[in-house]
Amino acid sequence: MSSAISPTQPVPSEAEPHGLFEKLSSLDGTLLSPEERRRALERFFRLRSGREKPGHFWKVDFESIAPDADSIDLTETNITVENPNSGLLVCDLATAARMQPELFARAFGTTGVAATKFGALASAFCGLGVFIYARADYAADEPIVVRYDAPAGAAIFPWSVVLAERGARLTVVERLAGGAGAFICGAAELVTEEHADVTFASVQQIGDGARAIFTHAARPGRDAAISWALAELGGQLAAGDLTVSIDHPGSQTSITGLFFPRSTQHVDLVSTVDHRAGEATSETVIKSAATEKGQARFLGNIRIAPHAQGSDARLRDDALLLSTTAHVDSVPALEIGANDVKAYHGATVGAIDVEQVFYMETRGIERAAAERMIALGFFEPAIERFPSTNLRDEIRAALAAKLS
Amino acid sequence: MNRMSQQGLHIHDLRCRIAGNDILKGIDLTVDSGRVHALMGPNGSGKSTLAFSLTGHPQYEVTGSVEMDGEDLLALPPDKRARAGLFLSFQYPAAIPGVKVANFLHAARQAERPGDLPPAKFRALLLEKMEQLGIDPSFMGRYLNDGFSGGEKKRLEMLQLAVLAPKYAILDETDSGLDIDALKAVGGSIGALRASDEGRNTGFLIITHYPRILQYVTPDVVHVMIDGRIVKTGGHDLAHRIEREGYDKIREETAAVV
Repeated sequence: MSSAISPTQPVPSEAEPHGLFEKLSSLDGTLLSPEERRRALERFFRLRSGREKPGHFWKVDFESIAPDADSIDLTETNITVENPNSGLLVCDLATAARMQPELFARAFGTTGVAATKFGALASAFCGLGVFIYARADYAADEPIVVRYDAPAGAAIFPWSVVLAERGARLTVVERLAGGAGAFICGAAELVTEEHADVTFASVQQIGDGARAIFTHAARPGRDAAISWALAELGGQLAAGDLTVSIDHPGSQTSITGLFFPRSTQHVDLVSTVDHRAGEATSETVIKSAATEKGQARFLGNIRIAPHAQGSDARLRDDALLLSTTAHVDSVPALEIGANDVKAYHGATVGAIDVEQVFYMETRGIERAAAERMIALGFFEPAIERFPSTNLRDEIRAALAAKLS
Repeated sequence: MNRMSQQGLHIHDLRCRIAGNDILKGIDLTVDSGRVHALMGPNGSGKSTLAFSLTGHPQYEVTGSVEMDGEDLLALPPDKRARAGLFLSFQYPAAIPGVKVANFLHAARQAERPGDLPPAKFRALLLEKMEQLGIDPSFMGRYLNDGFSGGEKKRLEMLQLAVLAPKYAILDETDSGLDIDALKAVGGSIGALRASDEGRNTGFLIITHYPRILQYVTPDVVHVMIDGRIVKTGGHDLAHRIEREGYDKIREETAAVV
C-alpha cells in the first residue's frame, strides 16, 4: 500500500509514512472515500507547515511531525458530548452524513481546513467527531460540551462541525484532554447563516509530553456573530491555525487566545481574519505568558480585500515574560487593500512592571503573591471573553496552578 | 529603652541617592502615634522620595536608620514594612489591569490582618467605608486604578487607608488634583479613621506642598522640607504662615543654617 505514494510527490525523508497509508484502510468510507483519504494524507506529507524552523529558542520541527501508525486510535469512545438543550441535532459525524446528508454537506469540509498540512492529516483520519446543527432561530440556553480524550500514547483526530441556520444561537465548549505522550490532530468548522450567533470555546489541557495541533475555520453569514476562544493550557506542543473567512457583510468576529508555556512547552498559534466582504468587524485579543523555558509564537494575520470597504479589524496581542529563558515571538501582519477601513494592531512583550509589584507590596502582599496576581490579572481581559462563569473559573485555576 | 519610648516612627539621618544624585540629605523626623504631622515643601524638595524611601521602593538607595515602634524598618522588604503597620497613599497609584478592586482589597487586608474578619463582615466594612468616601459600589468590580480618574484613584487610596487602618500612614499629595467635595470626603475619612478603635493610634505624615488639605485635617506638627532637609518644625500655625508667605521666606531664613 505504501506504493500508493506517487513518485512525483516525494515524501520528505524525515517524515516516513510509518504505515500510515495502510492504516487508512481501516477507516469508514461514509465521510470520505478511501481515495479522498489517501489524497489528504499525501497532501499532509507534501505540504510544508509554513511554521518557522527550529532555532536558538524554538525546538520543534513541524515538518518532521507525523503520528506513529501503531498509535492511531480510531475507537469511538474517545469523545463524550453533553447537550442539555432539546431541539438541537447533535450526533457523530458518520450518523450525520448518513441521516442528514444535505445538512451535513452544507458544513463539513466547506471551510478549507483540509488545505493546511495538519488539516490534511486530520482529514485523512477523520472519523471521531460531532456534528451540531441548530435550525433557524433556535436559541440554545446551555452550552454543548464536547470532550475529546486521547489515551496515553495514542493519536486521535477529532473533528467538530457546527452549522447554525439563520438567527440561531448556540455555544459550544470543546475540551481536549490527553494522557502522557498523546497526539491530537483535529479540526473544527463553524458555518453560520445570517444573523446566527455562535460561540466556540476550546480548552486544551492535555498531559505531559502530549501534542495537540488544531485547524479551526469559520464562515460567518451576513450580520452573523462568531466568537472563538482558545485556551492552550497543557501539553508539550500546542499548535493551532484559526481562520475566519468573511464573505458576507455585517458580521462580527471575535477571536480570543490565551496560552502560557512553562517548563519546555511550546505554543504556536496563527490567527487569520480574512475580510473579503465589507462592513464587518473583527477583534482579535491574545494574551500569553511564558516562564522557565516556555516558548510561544503568535502570528496574527488581518487581511482586508480591496473591495471590503467599511471593514473594522482590531488585533491586540500582549505577552508577559516571567523568566529570562522564556521566549515569545509576536508578529501582527496586516494586509490592507481597501481605503475606507479601520484597522488597528498593538503588540507588547515585556516583564512584569516593578511599579505594579511595589504598589502591591506596600499593601502587605508578598512579592511572589503580587507577581502571581498581576500575571493572572494580565490574562483577565482574555478570560472574560470565554463563555460561562464555571469555564472562566476553571481557566483561572489552571493558570494559577501554572504560576505556583 | 522601655516600650513606650520606642513608640513612634523615628527617622534618623536618612539619606537617599537616585541615579547618583543626593535627594535626601539627612532627614531627622519623628512621627508620633495618634498625631498628625504635615510635611510641607516646594516641588522637588524630596518629599515623595522620603515616602518611597520609607516604604522601600526597590530603585532607591537608602542609608540612615528608621525605627517604627522599635522595629528596624530599613531591614525589612516593602511587604513586611506594610505588615508591620506602614501605609503609603500614593500620589500616582499604579494601575493593575485584571485585578479587581474587591479582590485586591481583600488580599491586602488578609496580608496585613490575617483572618481577622470573616468575608461577610469584611464586605460590610468595605461598603460602610465606601459610603463614607462617596465611592460607588460598582468600583469593586473594576480593575485596580485602571482607567480611574485622578480623583477616583485618590478615593481608592483613602479606602485602603480606612480598610487597613495602619499604625503609620504617609499620604503623598493626596490633595492634589481633588475638587472640594473629594477633599472633604478625604478629610472626613481620615477623621473617621482617627475616631475609630482601629485608627485612634494611627500616626499620620501628610505630605503636601499646598496647605489646602490642612483645612480638613488639622496637623499637630508641621515640618518644612527644602532641598532634601527638614529646615523647620512647628505647630499648625506654620502651615498658615506658608499659606501667607510661601516658601521663599523660610528658605532665606534657613539658608544660613543649612
